[in-house]
Amino acid sequence: MLVRLIVRRLIFLIFVLFGLSLITFGLSHIIPGDPARLMAGPRAGKSAVEKIREQYGLNDPLPAQYVTYVRNLVRGDFGTSFTTRRPVSDDLKRYLPATIELGAIAFVMSTLIGIPLGILSSVRRDKLPDHVARFISISGLALPVFWLAIMAQFVFFGRLGWLPDGARIPIGTDPPPTVTGMYTIDSLVAGDWELFRLSLVHLIMPATVLAYGSLAVVTRMVRGGMLEVLNQDYIRTARAKGIAPRTVIFGHAVKNAMLPTVTSLGLQIGLLLSGAFLVEIVFSWPGIGRYAVEAIQRLDYNATMATTLVIALIFVLMNLVVDILYLFLDPRIAY
Amino acid sequence: MSQETAVSAEPAAAAYAGRLAPGATASLTGASASQSQLRRNLKRFLVGNKLNLIGLIIVVVFFLLAVFGQALAPYDPYAQDITGSKLLGPDITHPMGTYELGRDLLSRVMTGTRISLQVAAVVLSFAVVFGTLVGSVAGYFGGIVDEILMRFTDMFLAFPALILAIAIAASLGRELHWTMVALATVFWPWYARLVRGQILSIRERDYVTAAESIGMSGPRLLARHILPNAVSVIIIQLTLDVGYAILATSSLSFIGLGAQPPSPEWGTMMSTARNYFREAWWYTTFPGLALTLTVFAFNVLGDGLQDALDPRSGRR
Repeated sequence: MLVRLIVRRLIFLIFVLFGLSLITFGLSHIIPGDPARLMAGPRAGKSAVEKIREQYGLNDPLPAQYVTYVRNLVRGDFGTSFTTRRPVSDDLKRYLPATIELGAIAFVMSTLIGIPLGILSSVRRDKLPDHVARFISISGLALPVFWLAIMAQFVFFGRLGWLPDGARIPIGTDPPPTVTGMYTIDSLVAGDWELFRLSLVHLIMPATVLAYGSLAVVTRMVRGGMLEVLNQDYIRTARAKGIAPRTVIFGHAVKNAMLPTVTSLGLQIGLLLSGAFLVEIVFSWPGIGRYAVEAIQRLDYNATMATTLVIALIFVLMNLVVDILYLFLDPRIAY
Repeated sequence: MSQETAVSAEPAAAAYAGRLAPGATASLTGASASQSQLRRNLKRFLVGNKLNLIGLIIVVVFFLLAVFGQALAPYDPYAQDITGSKLLGPDITHPMGTYELGRDLLSRVMTGTRISLQVAAVVLSFAVVFGTLVGSVAGYFGGIVDEILMRFTDMFLAFPALILAIAIAASLGRELHWTMVALATVFWPWYARLVRGQILSIRERDYVTAAESIGMSGPRLLARHILPNAVSVIIIQLTLDVGYAILATSSLSFIGLGAQPPSPEWGTMMSTARNYFREAWWYTTFPGLALTLTVFAFNVLGDGLQDALDPRSGRR
C-alpha cells in the first residue's frame, strides 16, 4: 500500500511539474513580448539581441524550444540568471539553505507553541487562554505577512533596537565554513559560539513573523480537533470512571485530536513557502524567496521559473511525506 | 472520509483548510436547510453574534468606500505636493499623514478600496463561473469525464496557491490585469472541487430521484434542482475568498507583480513605504491596517455565514 501510494504520487508529480512547465513556458512565449529583448536588457543594441536569439535557440519553432527547455530541466540545467550571471542551479544551491533554515525554525516554533495553545484553549474554553488562541487564529489568517514583517521591523529594530533589521549575520562578519549552508548548524560544527548566537539573533524576527500564519492554523486545528474529541462518548466514559482529568486529556483526547493537525501540516508547508517570498524581501534574508522576487522584478525569466518549479517540487514532496506519516498514524486510512 | 469529518470540527478551520488543503471541503455537504430554519439561522447570525455584526459593518463600509471613496476623499489621491507636505505625520488636515510625493494618505487608502474590490470581483466571478462549470460537468457525468476533469483540477491544487499565482503573473507581465488572470487561475479549482462534491451528494437525495422519475434529466435537472441547493456553500466560500483574493492581490503587488506605482493599491503603496519605515511609520501602518481589517471582516463574515447556512457544522 505504501509503495503504491508513493508510486502514484510520484507519477502525479511528474504530470504536475510537466503541467507547470507547460503553463509557464506557454504563457511567456505566447504573449506578446520578446524574451531575447528582456535577456539583453534595455540598453542592448539590435545585434546583441539577435545574438541572444541565436544563442538560446529563440528562432526555433515553439515545440522545439519547449523540448530543449524540458531536456535541460531534467538535467538540472535551469539556464543562466541574467542578473547574477551564474547558472541558476548554482544560485539555488547557494540560497536554498537559508530558506530551509528559516522555514524549519518557523515550523518548529509554530508547532511548539500552537499545539499546547490549542490544547489549553480547548480545555479552558471561553476562558483567557481560549481568547488568546482565538485572537491568534483569527488575526493570523487576516494579517498580511509582509505588513507584519515591516511592523515588527519598525518596532523591534527601529524603535526598541532589540533585534537586527535583517540579513543572516552582521555585515562584515565572515559566515561559518559551509557544511550544510545553514549558519546555525555550520557555526556549531565550527565550534564558533559567538557566530551561533549571532545567527540565532538574526533568525528571531523573520522566523517569528513567518511562523505566525502557520501558528494560527495549528492552533485552530488542534483546538477544533480537541473540542470534537472531548465531546465523544469515550471521553465521558473515561471521566465517569474517575480517571484523572490530566490523563483523560493527554492520554485519551490529544492523540486522537492530532489527526486533523497532521493533515494541516501540508497546508502549513505551503504557507511557510509562500510566506518566505514575502518575509525574505522585507528582512533582506538571502533565501530563494528573495532570489525569486528579485528575479521577478528584474525580469530574470530563467531564475523566476526555476525557483517556482523547485518550490513546487519541495511542496509536493513534503506533502507526500505528510501523507506517509498519516498512514502510520491512522491505519484506518486507505489511499 | 474520517479525516474529512474530523477537520470540520471547527467551521473556520474547515473553511480555511478548504482554501488550501484538498479534500477538506467535502465536509460541507448537506447544507440545504429548510426556509424557516434558514431564516432563524440568519437572525441568530446577525443578532446573536457580535463578531458577525462587526464583520458585516466593516464589509458594508468597505463596499461604500469602494463606490464613493474617490468622491469622498478629502484630496485628489494622485495630487503631488513635493515642496510643502512631504512625509508629514498624521494631523487634522491629513489624518493618516502624507508620503514622499506629498500625497494625502487617507485619500489614497480610500481610493485603493475600489481597486481591491474590483480585482476580487473580477477574479472571483471568473473563478465561480468556470469552477461551477467544470465541477458540474464532472459531478453530473461522472466516470471518465469526472476523472479527467478532476485530475486536471488537482494539478492546479498541487501548488501553494500564492506561488502558482506568482509564477503565472511573472510569466504574463507586471500589470494588474495579468495578476487578475493569474489569481483567477488559482481560485477556480476550489470551486470546481466544491461544486463537484455538492453535486455528488445532492443527486443522491430523494427529491432528485423524484425529479428524475418524472422524466427530468440533464442540464434542466442540474439547473433547477441540483445547483440551487449548492448555492449556500458557494456563497460561504465566496465570502471567505473575497478576503483572500484581496490579500493575494496586495501580496503580489507588494513584490512588484500587479498594480504599479503610483496606483493607490494597498500592497503597491506598502512596497514603496517599506523604504521609509524608519522616518514615516504611518506610511505602511495605515494601508496595512486597511488591508488587515478588510480580510478580517470577510473571514469573520464567511465563518458566520457558515454557521448560519450550514447547520451541520454548527457550534456546539
